[in-house]
Amino acid sequence: MNKTADLLPGTLDMLVLKAVSLKPLHGYGVLLRIRQISDQALEIPQGSLYPALNRLESQALIASEWGQSDNNRRAKFYTVTKAGLRRLREETAGWNRLSSAIAAALNTAPDEV
Amino acid sequence: MLRRIYVACRTLWRRPDFEQGLSEEFQFHLQQYTEDLVASGMPPDQAARRARLEFGAVDAVKDDCREARGLRVFDELQHDLRYALRVLRRTPAFTLTALFTLALCIGANLTIFAVVDSILLRPLPFPDAGRLLSIYNTYPRAGVPDDGASVTNYYERRGHLPSVSGLAIYRDGAAIVGDAGSTEREFVTRVSPEFFSILGLVPSIGRVFTEGETDPQADDVAIVTEAYWRQHLGGRPDAIGQRLRVDGVTRIIVGVLPADYSFLSSKTQIYFPLSSRLDDRGPGHRHSGSSTHMIARLAPGASIEQVQSQIDAHNAAMEADDPEGPFIAETGFRSVVLPLHADHVAAIRPTLILLQAGALFLLLIGAVNVANLLLIRASSREKELAVRQAIGASPRHVVSLVLVESTVLTFIGGLLGLAIGAAGMRLLNVLGAARLPLGSHIVFDTPLALVALAAATVLGLAIGAPVAWHNLRARTNSQRQSESRSATSGHAAQRMRHGFLVAQIALAFVLLAGAGLLGLSLKRVTAVSPGFRPEHVLSGQVTLPRSNYRDGTARIALLDRVTAQLTRQPGVAASGIATNVPFSGNSNKSSATVKGYPPRRGESARGVYSYGVGGDYFAAMGLTLLEGRFLTAADARASTAACVVDDDFARRYWPLGGALGHRVFSGSAEGRDADAFTIVGVVGAVKQAGLSDDEALGAVYYPYGDRFDSAVYLVIRSSLPPETVGTLLQQVVRAVDPELPVNNVKLMQSRIGESLIARRSPALLAILFSGIAILLTAIGTYGVLSYAVAQRRREIGLRMALGARPEQVRAQFVALALRLLAGGLALGVIGAWAAGRAMQTLLFQVPALHLATLAGTAAIMTAVSLAACLLPSRRAARISPTEALADS
Repeated sequence: MNKTADLLPGTLDMLVLKAVSLKPLHGYGVLLRIRQISDQALEIPQGSLYPALNRLESQALIASEWGQSDNNRRAKFYTVTKAGLRRLREETAGWNRLSSAIAAALNTAPDEV
Repeated sequence: MLRRIYVACRTLWRRPDFEQGLSEEFQFHLQQYTEDLVASGMPPDQAARRARLEFGAVDAVKDDCREARGLRVFDELQHDLRYALRVLRRTPAFTLTALFTLALCIGANLTIFAVVDSILLRPLPFPDAGRLLSIYNTYPRAGVPDDGASVTNYYERRGHLPSVSGLAIYRDGAAIVGDAGSTEREFVTRVSPEFFSILGLVPSIGRVFTEGETDPQADDVAIVTEAYWRQHLGGRPDAIGQRLRVDGVTRIIVGVLPADYSFLSSKTQIYFPLSSRLDDRGPGHRHSGSSTHMIARLAPGASIEQVQSQIDAHNAAMEADDPEGPFIAETGFRSVVLPLHADHVAAIRPTLILLQAGALFLLLIGAVNVANLLLIRASSREKELAVRQAIGASPRHVVSLVLVESTVLTFIGGLLGLAIGAAGMRLLNVLGAARLPLGSHIVFDTPLALVALAAATVLGLAIGAPVAWHNLRARTNSQRQSESRSATSGHAAQRMRHGFLVAQIALAFVLLAGAGLLGLSLKRVTAVSPGFRPEHVLSGQVTLPRSNYRDGTARIALLDRVTAQLTRQPGVAASGIATNVPFSGNSNKSSATVKGYPPRRGESARGVYSYGVGGDYFAAMGLTLLEGRFLTAADARASTAACVVDDDFARRYWPLGGALGHRVFSGSAEGRDADAFTIVGVVGAVKQAGLSDDEALGAVYYPYGDRFDSAVYLVIRSSLPPETVGTLLQQVVRAVDPELPVNNVKLMQSRIGESLIARRSPALLAILFSGIAILLTAIGTYGVLSYAVAQRRREIGLRMALGARPEQVRAQFVALALRLLAGGLALGVIGAWAAGRAMQTLLFQVPALHLATLAGTAAIMTAVSLAACLLPSRRAARISPTEALADS
């Protein structure tokens, strides 16, 4: 059984935003954090992570700053902005609505129709 | 969206940092991942490879990041920009022609727009200046369109117009300022107390005038401008309270105005209270406005229409119990309320709009020219375009390549245009722009330059559009039929090129015909005789201080001495004095009533030009005596007063002759017989304000005396050089009274010349514009025909191989040029007629459709077109059949 799931289109930005909103992170940290909070289920393609970060930053949903990593290397840290938090709330609500609707639809038994 | 552009621009600004950051960030990621892989037990070299593999191609990821940042567009733009510059450098002849065209056209527009912007568009330099009003009395049927507003008007209206928050009057004049021995003539303005507060300013030091200071007994105070304070009072704060000698009377300085203050076009440096006796504020002086002007500020929420209706109602109430009411009503009397700014620039507005329209025409011609040249080049680059598209250039890219190139051209043209515009400002100064209303406000500043560059960019897109359209069409065509390049796209492009050339010829025709009409009008005005002989006549102004020359006798005695001294000088033929001279720019209209000729019902009183003259004024100015005699020095002292009237006046009252011996009262009603002036002579009519004056109001010449102002003109006729006469004038006046300054010394011919500036300068500019337009049209014609020849090289070669003679080939291209010319001329005549109608008010005795001008314009355009097609058609005739056919 394949334990990692493929990402649905459009969900990458949402996950990155979520990861960064928990704690300021560098790019590699975002990768690890998403893996961790999804119980290792979601694997981000590494090549798409950085364009996503740049996209979010150019929309001013996250901000970046150079800092020191745990092992004292120079790394770029991302933090969520107010606009980012607002967007995350909206996206989360939207996602929840969508996924429960899809779940309800998929779980419909023949006798319920 | 704005935010995204901002972020992209910021990243663009720090592009090297961004690129460096990406590399560093990726480096960190790979190291970190490799270490984690090693920690989980993988051999280091395998771990490093695995990390790189999972990350993907670093360069591709970087590209994705750039696109995410919105940088791709900029990168492509940069690429297109470099390409455009390379192409432009490769074709220097084309590039220079286009740049020259654009720089000239943009520069000309910029220069004219600087004037239009400064004079017509920018608000006056006062807070909320749009709410300032001008209110003046008009008596249209008396020939007096603007008679200012009277002191009586001011006192009667004050507090009775709810829709204005303040009302003030002012009167310009001149005064002798300074202590004995170092006097100077200064422009002064007398103002009512609210004047400065209506404008919205407070003195930087001191205070404004008070109500009490409008009493002639208590008006010895003055307010000076910041410039006067710096230059004459040392810029010290204790200038307040200092004394200033004005016309021999001591005044106390109570205020200094803020820096950069200027009221409309006024040159005034010193302000006095406009004081008046109670008698002067009475109903008897209600219609004695003339040199007094009224301004007001619109109350919050009020409209100008409300003010107008309140003034109308107030006037009606005032006139109701006026014995002169019916007489005033006959003159069509009204008080007009206008925005102060619009009123001040009303006279120059049509001329400025005309010039701006001319400049825009020029720009249009230039733009069409460049578009056509670009189009020609695009047609010859079709192959290159096809190759580009074959290797995958998108339609968007085809368009952006063209637009970038045309915008680069217009932008550089705009930068050069800034330099030409700045040079144009110098030319305008030579042409007398500073003398326009608000002329001293004309600026050429950064906002203007930015507007110019923005407009140049827009122009670039507009010029590029037809070329882009052509390229897109060529693209679809090349997909359809790769072989043929002279198929439909070729035809459409040719139609567009020819259409552009026709438009260009038509526009140039309109411009040239318009310039012709202006020039003709100027010529006709110049040919008008002023009614006197202005050659060798010098005039200068002297102001007699009231303190030393309080009564008429003293003034007459002084002026008699001056004229007697002047006449005695060798080389002086005659000299005299007058309260005003023609073409001085001052109006001296007032009313005169002939005894026994009360104005009939339905006939209004008329303003006539009133002069006070002394010495040998008539001989000095060179007026023609028609009947009777001139006034002499003896008339000034005689007990029975005499006067001379001009032909216009005499013919109005006595169309069959016989004016001599009749009596005239100065004023709008008959007075006592003792106040009457007997007509002793009739002189030829004189143009008073301008050669184009067509309203014969008439003039009355009274002997100079008490009732006249203390400022007079000395007039000298002499064959000596003007400089010598000027010096002589100064010397004689100084010998008689060392305190009297002489100003405004000019030849009468220069005064007439200055009065023509409003006609001459626009005509000169229009001629300049049309000269450029003709040059551009020649370039355009040459370009289009050269291309037509190059395009049909093969066809010509074939025809010649089959026996066509060179003359036939040449004739073919001359015929093409003539066909396009004919189209341009036909459209041009229609345009010229419309333009002539639009500028009719600015023309003097020239009809909107002047056949000789149109014919002349057509001849010039034909000559230019033929000359421009000479070279290309000769080249066509010389095509060698073997080479042409071998080429393909």
